[in-house]
Order: sequence, then structure tokens, then C-alpha cells
Amino acid sequence: METYEVFRRSGHKEPFEHAGAVIAPDPDMALMMAKECFVRRREGDHLWVVKRADIHSFKDESILEIAADKSYRFASAYRDVIQKREKALVRAQELEQKT
Amino acid sequence: MSDNAALVALLTALADDELILGHRHSEWTGHAPHIEEDVAFSSIAQDEIGHAGAYYSLIAKLTDQATDQIALGREPSDYRNAVLCEQPNGNWAFTLARHWLYDHADDIRLAALESSSHEELSAIATKLRREERYHLLHADSWVQRISSGPVEGRARLIDAMTEAFTDAMGLFEPIELEEAAVKEGWLPVPSAEMKARFVERTTTALDDLGLPTEVRAIDDRAAEFVASSSGDLIENAAAGEGPSPLPIAHGLGGRKGRHSPDFEILWTEMTSTYQENPGATW
Amino acid sequence: MTYEEKLANFNAHIEDGGKVETEDWMPDDYRRGVLKFIEMHANSEIMGALPERECLPAAPSLRRKMSLAAKIQDEVGHAQLLYRVAEDLGKSREAMYADLINGRSKFHNVFHYPVHHWGDVALIGWLIDGAALVTQAALLDSSYAPYTRVLKRICSEEQLHLRHGEDITLELASGTDHQRWMFQDALDRWWLAIIHFFGPRSNVAKDLLLRWKVKTRTNEDLRQEFLDRYVPKIFELGFTLPTPTPFHDEASDHWLIDEEEIDWGPLDGIKKNQGPETERRLAWRKQMYDDHRWVRESMAEPAIHVA
Repeated sequence: METYEVFRRSGHKEPFEHAGAVIAPDPDMALMMAKECFVRRREGDHLWVVKRADIHSFKDESILEIAADKSYRFASAYRDVIQKREKALVRAQELEQKT
Repeated sequence: MSDNAALVALLTALADDELILGHRHSEWTGHAPHIEEDVAFSSIAQDEIGHAGAYYSLIAKLTDQATDQIALGREPSDYRNAVLCEQPNGNWAFTLARHWLYDHADDIRLAALESSSHEELSAIATKLRREERYHLLHADSWVQRISSGPVEGRARLIDAMTEAFTDAMGLFEPIELEEAAVKEGWLPVPSAEMKARFVERTTTALDDLGLPTEVRAIDDRAAEFVASSSGDLIENAAAGEGPSPLPIAHGLGGRKGRHSPDFEILWTEMTSTYQENPGATW
Repeated sequence: MTYEEKLANFNAHIEDGGKVETEDWMPDDYRRGVLKFIEMHANSEIMGALPERECLPAAPSLRRKMSLAAKIQDEVGHAQLLYRVAEDLGKSREAMYADLINGRSKFHNVFHYPVHHWGDVALIGWLIDGAALVTQAALLDSSYAPYTRVLKRICSEEQLHLRHGEDITLELASGTDHQRWMFQDALDRWWLAIIHFFGPRSNVAKDLLLRWKVKTRTNEDLRQEFLDRYVPKIFELGFTLPTPTPFHDEASDHWLIDEEEIDWGPLDGIKKNQGPETERRLAWRKQMYDDHRWVRESMAEPAIHVA
């Protein structure tokens, strides 16, 4: 017997998400049982099972933390765009008055 | 400010290493040998530039200047990065060998700086070292993979490691006013001691990777550098030939502002927009 | 079921707003068309990294150096996502890459042009990404579902790029005379290419991708949305636009261009992969690819025991 992790997709627009796990002797039986364990209320339109032994992860998940400043990767870094636009408009108007 | 001169000199060397190497790493963007790796390596480039920024900001505070003025507003001979960092990327093998050597060196350096008597520097070291873990994982994974792969890749890595190892000694060339920095506890471990740790760590790792004697021959020479008090003898011999802006030999000279012609090209491009537009904000 | 019956069912499914998954039955023309379309999108992301990459070393501040690197990184990441989707339609990444570097496949016209200075970064980040976002948002409801799933992430990152580009533009617009010149110079050089970006008027009767709802809107419709959204902002900042210069049509309340004024000549060369920078950028990419065959081999072969 093996542990199979179960992933399901709730619609065409959605990604597969982890739903749980089943214990089964082979992938076909894992799918057969996962169907009733995890989508018996139509929680998904697609189902995957993956042998847990085939899933790899970091031993220490803290490596996923962002240690130093990475604010420039987020839209919130550009929150002051309204003020900047106003400043640029003032500059443009000044130039127009000069000509 | 003169009280801080040794601290500023230390921070400048640290920052310039990170900036120049980050700049080189970023040149791979869009061209790395594998698309997923392109994304991964870009993060490392961004990290290094960010680390430079952390050090420059502290210099800016100590000397009352703007961070970008320090990063991009100086003359080439003011930069104190090790020559290793400025070498052109060459093939992925050289980039990888340099990345591996640099990040192991940086880890040793940051571990030392975590106990710096300067609180802000110590805090920066702790923060950067957390990011450094991914750099080591990345470098080690690649070196492991190439080392245990086909002969051509191994041969290229061995050649590149041999070349980069010599220049890596420049990372431990004593910084200006180092004695004062050590005495104040700003730099808790002298460069010569860090170099010994580096040589020990990397030669052991190369042995474990089963890389052959060409690389270790360099290690032996490196060990001699340690014995001859930080390479001073070698440096003096070369400097006797007259003043030269070029690096001296074995990747030394960078900590005294002596760089290769490749650095001149890098500097010209890196500072062009900033220097051509004095007073502009971006 | 005969092929004709399957085709009829497929058409009805699409007509009904249905979606298509990789493992579903689809007509060969649909598969071929979608593959080519997504492959070109992927090619454009990876080739689109290069113009900005050429500006990256001269970024004027540390913050901009990092944020531009991060932005190009996102573009490469988009290529990674898109090549994966395209691969599942039956063409390997290696085959797509080989076609790209040997000039056998296409990428967007705007990435065939040279960059001159930091003004180009502002322009690409704001207006080219703006144009790309208009076209990509229109694909979010494409009939090929795996494409829409990656586009969701791509569009959200493009939103960030747009802000990043606008932020750089606004700094130039409110900066020194030379900084303003930088953006105006970029506008003068890029404007026609941006108009070309959306392509000539769609042939609705003949365009299979429109019929199968892989694309949901016509080229001219998307160009109009772009003009209405961006032209007033450009003029407001005191910049000018070269031919075809947009004008405001009071009756329709749209910013229009005179289509007679569009010189399609430069686009014809680019369609044959003969743009100003096509050969140099492809040759460089090919050189890097050839020089690093050994890396791919080191990754492909099983590890040996060495120590």
C-alpha cells in the first residue's frame, strides 16, 4: 500500500489544488477512491493522484522566506503614482506657459 | 568622519563586491542556459545588488551622502571590489565557479560580521546571511550537478574553478585601514584568518566533489598566500615594477582601487545614465 | 464518431462558450493555430527580455537596477509558463527554441527594434506593456483553458509592470529638460511600432482563431482601446506624437488615427524576421545556446558517482 496525495481542480479557470490523501495499492485504485473521498459533492471537475514518495520539498521551509527588501516586486511599491502624476502635470503646464 | 574611516573602508569593500558581482550576474538575464535557471539566477543578481544597497545606505548615513551617489557617482579608482567580481561572465562554467567561490567566501565573511561590534553592520550581516542560504543552495546544487555529469561539463568546471580560485584570493586582500577595523571590533576576524577558513572549506568541498588535482594545485598556492601574511610579498614584488592602475597579480589590487580594463568598460556603462544627468531624480 | 461529427460537436461546444483542455479532442487546425499563437507569445516574452536587458547595465539608481531586473525576470518567467502550455500541444521546448534562434518562427514586432537610452525603458514599461496588457487581458476568456490559467498570473504581473513603467515615465516627465527629451525621443522612435503592434485590421471571416474564440476581439478593437486609454495621458504630460498622430473625435468620444497614415512598410520586413535588430539578437541567442550545449547535456544525463 502507498500514500497518494490528491489534487483537484474546481473549474477551467482554476489551478489544481491539494485536497488530501488516500491510501491505496495502485494509482487506479487511488483515483477510484479519491473520487468519492474528495469530489463526491462536485468539488472538482478534474482529479490527480501523485505518489507521496514522488513529492519533494525543502527540508527547511524557512528558505522560502524573503529575507531582505524586495518591495519593488510588489505593486504597493508604486502607490505614490498619483502624487507623481500631479507633479508631472505641473511640470508640463509650466513648460506650456513658457512657450 | 575620520573616526569612521576604517568602518567606511570596510563597508565600501563589502558593498562594491556585491554591486559589481550583482551587475555581472544580471548580465545573464534573458540568456541563461535554461529558462527556469534564468529566473533563479536573476533573483541572485537582485539579491547581490540589494545587499550592496544595504551597505551603501549605512555608508550614506555615516558620511552624509546619497546612496546612489556612492554607488554610481564615484571614479573607477574609488571602487574597492575584488577583481574576481569584475571579470566578464565568460561561459556559464566561469560564472558558476565564481558564484560558488564568492558565495562561500561571503558566507564566511557574513558569519564573522554577525559578531561585529558595530550594531548596524552586525544586523545587516544577520539579515543578508539568511538570503545567502539560497545562494549557497543554488551554487552547491549546480556545482554538484555538473561535477557528477558528463566529462565535458566536468572539464569546463575544473578549468573555470582553477581560474576563478586564484582570483578569489583577492576577496581576502586586506582592506584599507584593516588593523583599525579589527581593533575596533568592526571586522571581528582579519582577512588572513577568513582566507584560511575559506581555503579549508572550499578545498574540502572540492575533494568531496571528486574534482581532480588541477584545482587543488591552486589550493596549495593559496595556502602559501596564507603563510606569507596575506600575499604582501607577492604584491610588493609586482608593485616594484612601477605604478600601474591594473590589478597586480593573482586577483589582488582591487582593495586598493586597482582594476582590470574590463572594469573600466563595466564602470562606464554602469554609471553612464547617472553621471550624464547630474542632479536628476529617477 | 466520424471526424466530421467530432468537428461539429467541437464547434457547437465553442459556440456555446465551452472551454478546451489539453486532453480534449480538438481539430488539427485548432491545435495548430493555438500552438502557433502561444508559441509566438512565448517567443515574444523571451525576446522581449532583450531590449530591456540592454538597458539594465546603465540603470540610473540601485532601486531601478533591481526593479528593472525583476521586471525582466518576470518576462522570462512568462516565457517559461507559456512554453510549458505550448509544449503540451505537441511541440517540445527544444524544437520551439531551435525554430526561434534559426529565424523560423515569429515574435512581436516591437522586440525587433533597438534601444538607445533610459527613455526607452520608460516607454517599453509604460506603453508597450500597456499595449500588451490590453491584448492579453482580452485573451483571459480564450477558449483554450490552459492558456487562460497562465494568463491570469501573467496579467497580474503585467499590471505591476505597467505601474513600474508609468512610475519611470512620470519621473522623466517631471524631471530635467534632458529627462523629458529622453521620453519624447523614445516616443518619436516607437510610436509607429506601437500602432503596428496590434496588427492590421482583422479579417473576421477568415481568422480561425477568432472563430474558435481563441482570440475574442479584433486587432482594431484592441488598438482603439489602447489609444483611448493612453493617448490623453501622453498629451496631458506635454508630449507630442508623430504620424499617425491621434486626434479626438467629439462625435464618438474616441481618440482616432487616420489609418491611411499608417506606413505598414517596416512591419513587412519584421514579418520576414528582417527588423533592425532581429539578426543581431537572434545570432546572440543562438551563440549562447550553442556555447552551452554542454550545460544541457550535464542536466540531461543521469548523475555519475565521482567522489
